[in-house]
Parts: sequence; structure tokens; C-alpha cells
Amino acid sequence: MLATAIQQLLNAAQLGAVYALIALGYTMVYGTIRLINFAHGDIFMLGGFIGFLLVAIIPGLPVAAMIPLAMLLTAMIGVLIERVAYRKLRNAQRMSLVITALGVGIFLENLVRILVGPQARQIPAQLPNKVLRLANGVVITEDKLLVILISLSLMVILWIFVNKTLLGTAMRAVADNRDAVQLMGVNLNLIIATTFAVGSALAAAGGIFFGQAYSIDPYMGIDLGWKAFIAAVIGGIGSIEGAVIGSFLLAGVEVLTVAYLSSNLKNGIAFGLLIILLLIRPNGIMGRAALKKV
Amino acid sequence: MKKSVWLLSALSVLVCLTGCQDKGVKIGVSAPISGDIAALGQSTKNAVLLAQEEINAKGGITIGGTKQKVTFIIEDDENKPEAAATVFQKLINQDKVAAIIGSQSSKCSNAGAPIAEAAGIPQISPWSTNPNVTKDKRFVFRACFIDPFQGKAVAGFARGKMKAGTAAVLYDVASDYNKGIAEVFRNEFTKAGGKIVGFETYNTNDKDFSAQLSKIKGAAPDVLFLPNYFNDVPLQVQQARKLGMTCKFIGSDGWDNQELIKMGGKDMEGTYFSNHYSPDVDRPASKKFIASYAKKYNTQVDAAAALTYDSVYLLVNAMEKAGKLDSKAIRDALAGTKNFDGVTGVITYNGSGDPIKGAVMIRVENGKFVFDSAVN
Repeated sequence: MLATAIQQLLNAAQLGAVYALIALGYTMVYGTIRLINFAHGDIFMLGGFIGFLLVAIIPGLPVAAMIPLAMLLTAMIGVLIERVAYRKLRNAQRMSLVITALGVGIFLENLVRILVGPQARQIPAQLPNKVLRLANGVVITEDKLLVILISLSLMVILWIFVNKTLLGTAMRAVADNRDAVQLMGVNLNLIIATTFAVGSALAAAGGIFFGQAYSIDPYMGIDLGWKAFIAAVIGGIGSIEGAVIGSFLLAGVEVLTVAYLSSNLKNGIAFGLLIILLLIRPNGIMGRAALKKV
Repeated sequence: MKKSVWLLSALSVLVCLTGCQDKGVKIGVSAPISGDIAALGQSTKNAVLLAQEEINAKGGITIGGTKQKVTFIIEDDENKPEAAATVFQKLINQDKVAAIIGSQSSKCSNAGAPIAEAAGIPQISPWSTNPNVTKDKRFVFRACFIDPFQGKAVAGFARGKMKAGTAAVLYDVASDYNKGIAEVFRNEFTKAGGKIVGFETYNTNDKDFSAQLSKIKGAAPDVLFLPNYFNDVPLQVQQARKLGMTCKFIGSDGWDNQELIKMGGKDMEGTYFSNHYSPDVDRPASKKFIASYAKKYNTQVDAAAALTYDSVYLLVNAMEKAGKLDSKAIRDALAGTKNFDGVTGVITYNGSGDPIKGAVMIRVENGKFVFDSAVN
């Protein structure tokens, strides 16, 4: 009984780690330019495919090199997307930006479908994946443990970057008041590009972990993107800690619903609870209400 | 004035281009060329194009004494019911096809069947095993057995040869086929004296089944039934094994595609599933098809390809027997098919759109699908 419960919590931790890596991108982009980047789930998918292609093109590429390389490439694509699709619209109506983002997402899905094909694929297992037997019949595979640990360390690095570095300070300043920051001589384009780069790189890491543990296909970003976005909203969109908390919370509720109620009710109960939570705290767990300018 | 003359003549050329070449037989195909079971759409396309080549090499279909070339119009339904409905509408209204082959998954065939029925265009689904597809319809047929038969076969196999006392089921609740056969299995397995200890669901496109599997692991079944498609099953079996589950795995005809082994690898060894046919069965019709398919596409035949090929020839056979391209006459000829010698077995229709035919159980062994036993 207890063993099954612990097993389920480990399952939730892995799922939550993947959600968090995507949710961080949503929250960072929203924080800086108030854009809900609906293409972000597809950037996650793209990251997975870049990892897959890297392994296919360079056989024997060690995983320790593949992950950073794929993160770098995806970061560059993220910056390119911002430059091509979003920058011109930065001061346009919010609606135009959202529609462009949706368009970019559909474009990426179809691009990958044409280039790589529609079949689901698995990134060949590169992380060590021995099954570790813990006490009481609880098991965890090494790759699952690694995914959780690597994700958590990426999150810590991000937190340090945003809170302790000059560039991070500038990002937070842009989030606070974009116009004032520009008046202070900060290069707004550089800051926003950095935001996209970091968000895309984290999503790529998520995509690779996902592709290793499960499988990747051109449309996988849609469902997971929605879930991560919702996790970011629960946590309080714009807040980095919130995105992480929201992700683990959502994964936890989903897994526990399956474990103790019914798998039929998974999405229904998970999202029902979220609606209730948002009724109580409209800005999310870590969010704060926007100050009204008088 | 001048402009409109140009436009008119251009239009008339267009009309002529589409209308003038109206000679020949047009048959529509609705297949999952993209989407979650795209590998199966490829098999469908392969089988149809092979048949088209063979038929036209012989001069075409003999209709009322004259030979007419056949053209298959293959459309992508993305394995989504709403897309399948659009494809059926397009094939019937724009392309004016004489009949439709497809779709493959039950949920898509279910979306297309009412449209074909209303238009009075004969439809043959090669691979849709859900009973609702043909229910209460005169123009809708299939080339495969139905799930109540298949579910009973699998449940009997699990109780008999696998000696399972307890079983659990994990299935896609958003798909007609998966849901239908999961329920049949539950009833049949219980009826045969077994006990169902877990009945878990997921949604199409889910990739993480560890929560459901952990729950099933707690119930420790002898056998886990996975009536799902080949794209999900390897993930389910892999995740179950990673959780340290030691039960046996059994599945249904949705497993039959090489992708199952490509993705699942050695984790799939020793699993069983029910299928429409096996390449190992010694039948001249099968041997000939398997050889020409392998030669043309350099890959193994799966059941969907074999059933699609059978559907094409069932239809051609009916058209030749009807002697005219009248949809009602084709329908009647199809319904009267007796002892048709197909790749997947001998097919006879008996008053409904469901043929009378048997099933086989397949074992995964050394990365190959191996014939285990036949069920009638």
C-alpha cells in the first residue's frame, strides 16, 4: 500500500519535472513581454527532435554533449522565432501576438512532420537506465532519477541566473516596467532575446528527457504545452518559483487521481481543482495582483 | 468584356479537364496518412497502389464487357473522425467516386459510414473491427472480423493457453475500437472463470502511463490486456517492465505493425496478440501478395495492408459481377459475395456487412511476428 503510494509520487515527480521545464518558458516570456507564447509547446517538441536527429546524424554522440548541443540549437531557433515572428508585433494588439504564436506552433508541427515524418519515435536510450530496487518493492530507473535531478539543477541554475546576475536583473526590470527600463539605456532586444533563448533551451531539455522516457512525435507539444501553460498559470504566470510549484502540483494531482480515484477522471478532477484554486487565488499561488496605476 | 471571355474559356477547359477524363473507375480511399497511426496509413497506401498497378496492367476492371482503368483517390484523414467526415464528403461530392475503401480506425470509419450510407455509396473498411461501424447500414461493409469475436478469442487464449486467473486492462478511452474490445474482454474473461483486477484508461496522445501501471502493479494480475494501437503499446510495455511488472502481456489486432517491434525492441518478446492473418499461413493467395508487396516496398506486410488489398479485390469482384457502375448494383453484388479467396482468408458475407472469417494468435519472438494458433 505504502509502496504503491511512494511509487506514484516518484511518477509524479518525473512528470512534474518535464512540465516544469516547459512551464518556465511560458512564465519567462510572459513575464518580459506579456505574451502567452502558444508556440512554446512546439519548441519543446522541436528540442526533442533536434536531440533525436543529433543522435541519428552523429552516432555515438555522448548524452552529456547531446543535451547541451540540442539546448543551444533550440535556443537559437527560439531567438530566431522571436526575431521573425514577434518583434515587429511587440507593440501591436495583444491578440495579433497570440494568433502569430499559434501560427508559429502549427508551422513548427508541420515542418517537423514533413522533414522527419509523422511516426512516433524514441530517442535511443543513452541515459543509464538500470532498474534500481528500493525498499518494499518500490522501483525507480536510473534515467528517471537523472531526469528529476537534472531538471531540478537546471531550475536552480535558472533561479541564480535571474536573481543574481546583471542580465537576470535586467530581465526582472523589463518584467517590472518595460518603458522605464528602456529609458535607462538597457538593450531591450537583447534582454527579450535572452528570455527566449533560456526558455527554449529549457524546453529542449524537457523534450529530450521526454523523448528518452516516452516517445516524440510532431504533435506532442500541443497537449503537453497546454498542461505546462496551465501549470504556469496555477503557479502564477510570470513567477519562476510559481511555474515549478504549479508543475509539480498539477502532476501530483493527475497522478494521485489515477492512483486513488479513477484514471477516467484524471483530467476532469485535475482541472476542476485548478479552477477552484484560481477562484480563490486568481493570480496563482505565487502571483501577485498587478498594481493599478492611478 | 475581353477578360470575361478569357475566364470563360479557361473555365471550360477546366471543366473539360475534369469532366472529359471521366472514363474509368474512381475509387476513394480514406487513410491515416498522417497523425498518430501514420505508419498504418503508409501500409494502406502501399496496398492500394500495388493493387492499382496490378489491375491496370491487366487493362483494368471488366465492366459489362469493356475494360476500364481504375484510379484510386487517396485522402488523408489524419486518424481524426472530423477529418474523416470531410474526406468522405469530398470523395463523394467532388470526386464522385464509385465506392470508398476506408477508413482504418473504427472511430474514423464510424464518422464516415453515415455519410456513405446517406449517399448510397458502398464503403468497405479494411480494418475497423468495432461492431457499430456496419450496424443498421446497408452500404457499409468491412473486410475483417468484429471485436466481440476477437475479444472472445483473446479472453479464451488468456484463460486457456496462458493459464491466467487474473487479468488487468489498460485502454484508450477516447477511441471506439480500444474501448469496445476492452469491454468485450472484461465480460468474456469473467465468463470464462477469470477475475478482472484492474480496468484502467488513458486518453489518445498520452505518453506517460506509469500512474495507471503502478496501480495495476499493485493488483498483481497474471496477464495485462492492452487493446491499443502499435504506437502506444511499446511505451506501455516498456513502462510496465521498468516498474518491475512481471505479468504477461496480450493484445489485439491494433498491435500489428512493424513499428511495434522497432520501438518496443526486446521488451515485446513473448507477448501475444490476435490478428487477421499471419504471413506464416500457407495459402497461395497470401504467398503471392506477400511476395509482390515485399518486392515492391521492401517491407513486411501487416494486417491492415492485407485487409486493404482484400477490400480492393472484394470491390473489384463486386463491380465485375454487377456489370455496371451503379452503386446499388455494386452493393448487392458485394453483399452476395461467397467464398472469396482473399489474402486474409476465405470471405463470405451473410446478410450483413460483416464477413464470416477466423482469427489467428500471433507471438512476438526474436523480433518477428510468429503464427501461434488459429481461432474460428
